[in-house]
Amino acid sequence: MAQTASNTLGSRPIARPAAQRTRRRGGLDMVILVLVMLYLLVPLGATLAFGLSSGSGFDLSALQRTFSDPDFSQTLLTSLELALGATLLAILLVTPTAYWVHLRLPRARPLLEFLSLVPFAMPAIVLGVGLLQEYSGTSGPLITILSLGLVPVLSNGLNIIDTPPLLVCAYVIIALPFVYRPIDNSLRAINTTVLTEAAYSLGSGWWRAFLTVILPNIWPGVLSAALLTFSTVMGEFTMASLFNIYTFPIFLNATGQNDAHQAADLAVLSFLFTLICVLSILLLVRGRRGRDGQIDIAGTR
Amino acid sequence: MAFLELEDISKQFGRTTAVNHINLAVERGEFLTLLGPSGCGKTTILRMIAGFEVPSSGTIFLDGEDITDRAASKRPMGMVFQSYALFPHMTAEQNIAFGMSIQRKPREVIQRRCAELLDLVGLSERGRSYPHQLSGGQQQRIALARALAVEPKVLLLDEPLSALDAKVRVSLREEIRRIQQQLKMTAIYVTHDQEEALAISDRIAVMAQGRIEQLDQPEQVYSNPRTVFAARFVGTSNQFRGVLTSATEGLCQGENWFLHVLPGVNLPEGTAVLVLVRPEAVMLHRSPEADQESSNHARNRLEGVIELRTFLGPFTRFHVRVDERTTLTADIPSQQARDYFVAQRVHVTFPPDACQVLPLDEQEVSLVKQVENEAV
Repeated sequence: MAQTASNTLGSRPIARPAAQRTRRRGGLDMVILVLVMLYLLVPLGATLAFGLSSGSGFDLSALQRTFSDPDFSQTLLTSLELALGATLLAILLVTPTAYWVHLRLPRARPLLEFLSLVPFAMPAIVLGVGLLQEYSGTSGPLITILSLGLVPVLSNGLNIIDTPPLLVCAYVIIALPFVYRPIDNSLRAINTTVLTEAAYSLGSGWWRAFLTVILPNIWPGVLSAALLTFSTVMGEFTMASLFNIYTFPIFLNATGQNDAHQAADLAVLSFLFTLICVLSILLLVRGRRGRDGQIDIAGTR
Repeated sequence: MAFLELEDISKQFGRTTAVNHINLAVERGEFLTLLGPSGCGKTTILRMIAGFEVPSSGTIFLDGEDITDRAASKRPMGMVFQSYALFPHMTAEQNIAFGMSIQRKPREVIQRRCAELLDLVGLSERGRSYPHQLSGGQQQRIALARALAVEPKVLLLDEPLSALDAKVRVSLREEIRRIQQQLKMTAIYVTHDQEEALAISDRIAVMAQGRIEQLDQPEQVYSNPRTVFAARFVGTSNQFRGVLTSATEGLCQGENWFLHVLPGVNLPEGTAVLVLVRPEAVMLHRSPEADQESSNHARNRLEGVIELRTFLGPFTRFHVRVDERTTLTADIPSQQARDYFVAQRVHVTFPPDACQVLPLDEQEVSLVKQVENEAV
């Protein structure tokens, strides 16, 4: 725009170097962008090329074998269920908790931040083995007391060990850093306390304030938490393997041991599937924004 | 019993006492301002009335009912915040409708009332705008409309103008006052801006360190301050420390001066006093003769040199040094101020009835110093 203005004023000599600088910087940006794209896409393309070829040339038989394998759809469905379950549980647990702490116990925030980082420091295998041991029905009295009697009921009464529900819970723990951080950041970015007080003064209770005032404003953070949890669970291998649950990554690993071409196909498919899920959630949200945008325009008219 | 009553209210945060045994009665339809420096407890009082803080002791009555322990959402109060606190994802209209939809009012009623309120705050055209599309002043008007929408018994305003620029501040405060009078709404207003408080209120409670120093009409607070703190905080004043030598004649003595004050000061002779004179009561003269011509009454006369001259529009402020320790401030109408310059020798006079005599309580003086240091 500056360029147009200076052109009309007839000051081309000044306008030109500025334009050149912009173009040169644009060129460097493009180079970096292309390099990053290559870094990310070349392995994916190579994997795809490998999956769609046999020794002699283009060959779709590996792909056909993949689709005809009943384990393919079944494990994909299992992984999808686990990912959705873990995402929902993590969001439902963490969002109100983070809000509550923000509002009523701001001093406990550093503690919660620390707790949310612990899963980063703990290898999945340690978490998995630990959970299996405690829920196998042999837990000591200390765990019984600490869990208010919940662990014996779950492990002996409901026999939760090696079941998808326990795995979902384990995934929630793994996902805690991805979930807590973005939600807490969003709560900090808006004026949470004052907005809540404004809602109270208009007659709203805690839950209504949370659902109708706070949640819509921290939605981007909640969404990014959900996306991160979802994609982490879709590709998780260690815990599922320890829990003996046949998920998609385990199917992929087992296939890869027998048929490298099929494994390459599966890797690309898994990537595409997760990408589609993530994109559809994003589009869903952008669609909502788009509608708001239209109201915006109507409002300013 | 008054419409809203605070009885012996205190509030402690840990070891700090924010509000110290306050009693306050607000009449129906009254506009009361809590005025004081930051940390004086004014916002805490407002938050206790709103229900955001629970008093450590004492009782709050509204319309004869004890509401001390009632949840904020169950109190018939409307609140306007310093930071506007509009819900960012809702349009102006939706913000205003929020409280009414909680009250389960029919949709037509909500729509009609939204339109009325938008009209009342002069923003009929902006109902569909989002808060980020509105200026600060417009956002605060919407916030005011939103608070009024729930038909509160008391309107609470927590420094609603301090985030706005000077011009908007003045026009919006006039508008708040107009709307409050039009609706005959009981309002409690918190501010640290004394000019704002004087302009808008029926009564002002001047506060310091969790206590009410003076509760009076604006004119009284300005011209008849009852404590040294109130005098120092509201407006500018010249101060003379001295001793009351004759109450009947109205004479005070300082280190090297005598001051005539109004006779009949209600204090025992020999009391240490602080004599306060507002700068607009101080006059300047080029020669003692000119001074004598203009007045026949007993006047206080001092002589000094102009040190500083500040043009402030309608009047010009002069700082006149009368001795090594004392500088006087005089506000002269700008038209008459043309004759006076820096370094000029002048005669300073002020009438006895412009002198406010206050007992100089050392505790009070230390309070003033403390508050002023905190402000720095």
